[in-house]
Amino acid sequence: MIEATTVEQPNIANSPTAQPARKGPRGQVIIYAKWCKGCQICVEFCPMGVLAFAQDLDRAVVVAAEKCTACHFCDTHCPDLAIVVKRFD
Amino acid sequence: MSEHILTAHDLDVSEGQIPRENWFESSETLSKLRKSKKFPTIWCSGCGIGIVMGALIRAIDHLGIKNDEVALVAGIGCTARMPVYMDFNTLHTTHGRALAFATGLKIARPDMHVIAIMGDGDALAIGGNHFIHTARRNLDITAIVVNNAIYGMTGGQYSPTTPLDKRATTAPYGNIEPPFPVCELAIAAGATYVARSTVYHALELDKFLAEAIAKDGFSLVEAMSYCHTTYGRLNKFGKATDMMRSLKDNTITKTAYDKLPPEERASNTKFVRGMFCNIDRLPYTSQYDKVIARAQGGAQ
Repeated sequence: MIEATTVEQPNIANSPTAQPARKGPRGQVIIYAKWCKGCQICVEFCPMGVLAFAQDLDRAVVVAAEKCTACHFCDTHCPDLAIVVKRFD
Repeated sequence: MSEHILTAHDLDVSEGQIPRENWFESSETLSKLRKSKKFPTIWCSGCGIGIVMGALIRAIDHLGIKNDEVALVAGIGCTARMPVYMDFNTLHTTHGRALAFATGLKIARPDMHVIAIMGDGDALAIGGNHFIHTARRNLDITAIVVNNAIYGMTGGQYSPTTPLDKRATTAPYGNIEPPFPVCELAIAAGATYVARSTVYHALELDKFLAEAIAKDGFSLVEAMSYCHTTYGRLNKFGKATDMMRSLKDNTITKTAYDKLPPEERASNTKFVRGMFCNIDRLPYTSQYDKVIARAQGGAQ
């Protein structure tokens, strides 16, 4: 079964321009754009301010991908299962 | 089928796509056991029921149970839509009778892990008798009661768990009936495992659900959720995020509650979350096997 997804930004692990903001584990936040209903739970509770709410798209978007520490709050608390956090060290 | 999914996820030109093998790591479980073609869900934006669903999927995956060995039974209501989105054996039944159907299923197929998913109105009002008698008989069923304190799907009527003085569409001047204490009711009726958590404490909910499913005997997990669309709007509790924050602020762990001095404990208005009961009793199916053995032994 094909399960296509939209990704907010390219893989930052391989990107030479994006440097991590701090030491420790890093994560990449992936949002399924068509599943997100824009409830803003992930935006309000993200401790690092990785996510923001886009009024024009009516959904959450990744604004500071390099700050993600892979705490997995957003993917465990997404009511629509629309977030995947990929951890890499 | 794949065509439908592709249209549901058509890519924006500005956004990149990463290789398929790198997609899932933490949420691999969710992608394995959910029915992706049914998404997005019918629930309101921000509803906590989806979080309970994620916790249930992670709990089942943690126990390593095959999805063919799990049966999800649901009644009617917002919560009862949950099995639609999960890849297990499912049974959608009449209002309040989820536990009645689950009883029949468990007796016919004792090898299956039967999980009954109910809302508060489903489990305690219409299915109140089934609830206490399934606990009394101690059938090996896991009951999940998602408690949002109102009948959400039918328009916000007050339910058996609506707190005193809170408003509902059928109680515009405040509810005058005291709520059911769900966990205490289950303990008194004879449940072997009783725990309560909230959708804010999702990982704790994972743990309780996994323990409840692994337990031999009737186990109840009360997942406190919220309904911001009806209950929150009528009582001016704000958005989903505000109600989520109030779940965080207005609960106290059982360990912290037990340490409180008696006078503070008496005046405590916060909800206590934690495991309240974990005892061992012989399940109904084992008793029934004994009866079979006795009857066959007598005939010989």
